[in-house]
Amino acid sequence: MTVVDPGAPAADSKFDSGALAGLSADEPILQVRDLVMEFPIRAGVFRRQVGSVQAVTGVSLDLYRHETLGVVGESGCGKSTLGRSLLRLIEPTSGTVTFGTEDVTAASKKRLRELRNDLQMVFQDPYASLNPRLPIRDIVGEPMQIHGVPRKEARQRVGELLKRVGLLPEHGNRYPHEFSGGQRQRIGIARSLALRPKVIVLDEPVSALDVSIQAQVLNLLDEIQDEYQLSFIFIAHDLSVVRHTSDRVAVMYLGRLAELSDRHRLYDEPAHPYTQSLLSAVPVADPRRERARKRIILQGDVPSPANPPSGCRFHTRCPIAQDVCKHETPEFREIAAGHRVACHFALEPGETLLERTQQLGRKVDIAGD
Amino acid sequence: MSDTLAVGATGTSTTQAPLLKVDDLTVGFRTDAGTVKAVTDVSFEIRPGEVLAVVGESGSGKSVTALALMRLHPRNTDITGDVVFDGIDLLELTDAQMRSIRGRDIAMIFQDPMTALNPVFTVGEQIAEAIRIHNDVSKKAAWSRAVDLLQLVGVPEPKRRASQHPHEYSGGMRQRAMIAMAISNDPKLLIADEPTTALDVTVQAQVMEVLHDVQEATGSAMMLITHDLGLVAGSADRVQVMYASRLMETGDLDDIFYESANPYTRALLESIPDLEGVKDTLEPIPGNPPSLLNPPAGCAFRPRCFLAAAECAEQVPGLVTVEGHHASRCLRISEMPAPVEVRS
Repeated sequence: MTVVDPGAPAADSKFDSGALAGLSADEPILQVRDLVMEFPIRAGVFRRQVGSVQAVTGVSLDLYRHETLGVVGESGCGKSTLGRSLLRLIEPTSGTVTFGTEDVTAASKKRLRELRNDLQMVFQDPYASLNPRLPIRDIVGEPMQIHGVPRKEARQRVGELLKRVGLLPEHGNRYPHEFSGGQRQRIGIARSLALRPKVIVLDEPVSALDVSIQAQVLNLLDEIQDEYQLSFIFIAHDLSVVRHTSDRVAVMYLGRLAELSDRHRLYDEPAHPYTQSLLSAVPVADPRRERARKRIILQGDVPSPANPPSGCRFHTRCPIAQDVCKHETPEFREIAAGHRVACHFALEPGETLLERTQQLGRKVDIAGD
Repeated sequence: MSDTLAVGATGTSTTQAPLLKVDDLTVGFRTDAGTVKAVTDVSFEIRPGEVLAVVGESGSGKSVTALALMRLHPRNTDITGDVVFDGIDLLELTDAQMRSIRGRDIAMIFQDPMTALNPVFTVGEQIAEAIRIHNDVSKKAAWSRAVDLLQLVGVPEPKRRASQHPHEYSGGMRQRAMIAMAISNDPKLLIADEPTTALDVTVQAQVMEVLHDVQEATGSAMMLITHDLGLVAGSADRVQVMYASRLMETGDLDDIFYESANPYTRALLESIPDLEGVKDTLEPIPGNPPSLLNPPAGCAFRPRCFLAAAECAEQVPGLVTVEGHHASRCLRISEMPAPVEVRS
């Protein structure tokens, strides 16, 4: 992806929070450091806290300008919680999120509202995220109204935005129920663009859509990213979709980052046993490849985040786990430029989990055998 | 999984008599706004031991087809056509006769095991009940068979787990329990409706493996209903593609993926991102699926089709044989561009 000229004026300075002032083009636009998100578990008459769910534990990552960072993982891995806590839609327990030069986690309520000009979100369920009682015009225009854009100007912008996402300006008079799932997701995208944001967190933006519609929305996202010079955090469980859309990909397991790398390296030379098993489990729409494939089948289910395993959280399902994995949390270390992995026994480039497992003289469940 | 499939795809049972033969099945729902045809003139066969995948997007009629076969459709439904299973026309049976077949000869696995299992009975009780409905065995014998079945589908500690309620099971375990219940009477046909859609990908791999193992062990045929072309590629012998209530294309697995003779199938394959990162751009299918209340004249896919011409609006194309049992519903098959080998 191309690097944005730092000197280029912001498209619409009155929406600009100013947090990016003086930031050079190759510095990250969003920096996340040691982010922790715990939810209390309460029980009894007095709702005393009896434990906590560790949804996100010590996540650190950077998002660069005009890049798409994919975040993948299975349900309950904390990817959606991570996305929401970046915008402080839920308050993180600890850690920092820095947008440009400004600490989002320390911002006052008023300042946070200004920062949200620049930080927007698109949700998974286009049925639940649009107010059924408002016409589309008001749904898309609401952010502008809240941020004090004159009514006439806002109305004109709504028409432009609807056109941009592939709808007609006259659709503004209709209500959400009159639209299909794909169209609703377009409306959600139009709303997120209303304030000319710099960063959009997309939480499973195409998961609820039929495959023929998915591609339409993915292509639309691609276009608006170029046009508005946006940075995306793309949260999804579909590994093929993430490979297609992302420049770099982070893999999460039980609240922690397991691996992070540029997309081709991550998919072609995954170093974390979990990444390999995950990729191995994805069915491919190609019968010949499927027949030739050796699929590693992980045992068991993802453990509960209320009581995560000690040490490396993946050790209970990992076919190559050793004693140390039970006691010591692996460091999220860099094994090559831009390639980080949290594993004591990371796989070498080109090495498969199957080979390593066999080397250790262990049995692994393989589909087809 | 794949090794056995390779054999199945080429070898098994192409000459055997069909286990299930469906002719001109049409299912309409009477609504205030008129009759919605959810399935229109669908004909197909399933042979013993084979896996037939039914692919389509939401509203294409794939699930309704299965529910109609099982006669589990709602009251406001008109069904016409023939559904002959093992020599018996299911649509002619009384409700009592149908009940004796359902769950014994044909069993179904639903997408959401949480709603398909009864929350107030233990998993073991529910499986035992399914056995005792069709077999004259003691409660004790049924229970011990239930435990065996749970073991077969890979539920750890089956004795203890049989006395647990569904909410104590994880999603993957519940789906295994449902498979155990479905195979409890050695059905000849398993209908699996999106059996892994609610599951995570690593658990999906486990459940598909279990399905294949039990299918191999019992020799039952399977109708796999799914929207996931990846699952189809990894498990089906034959495929039929549905769109807007009709069959668009049907054929052997490789025919559909590598030699597709239908613009909808082709467009569907082009629109999905691939795990290998070969595709640079996705070719989306423009527009939206049509309303079944008011379908477009002629071919239902015409408004979104890259190959559409004036003739396509004039009549609904018939299902035309391409080669062997590969057939496609398209007037312009001869105009189809040669298949592009984007994969493999």
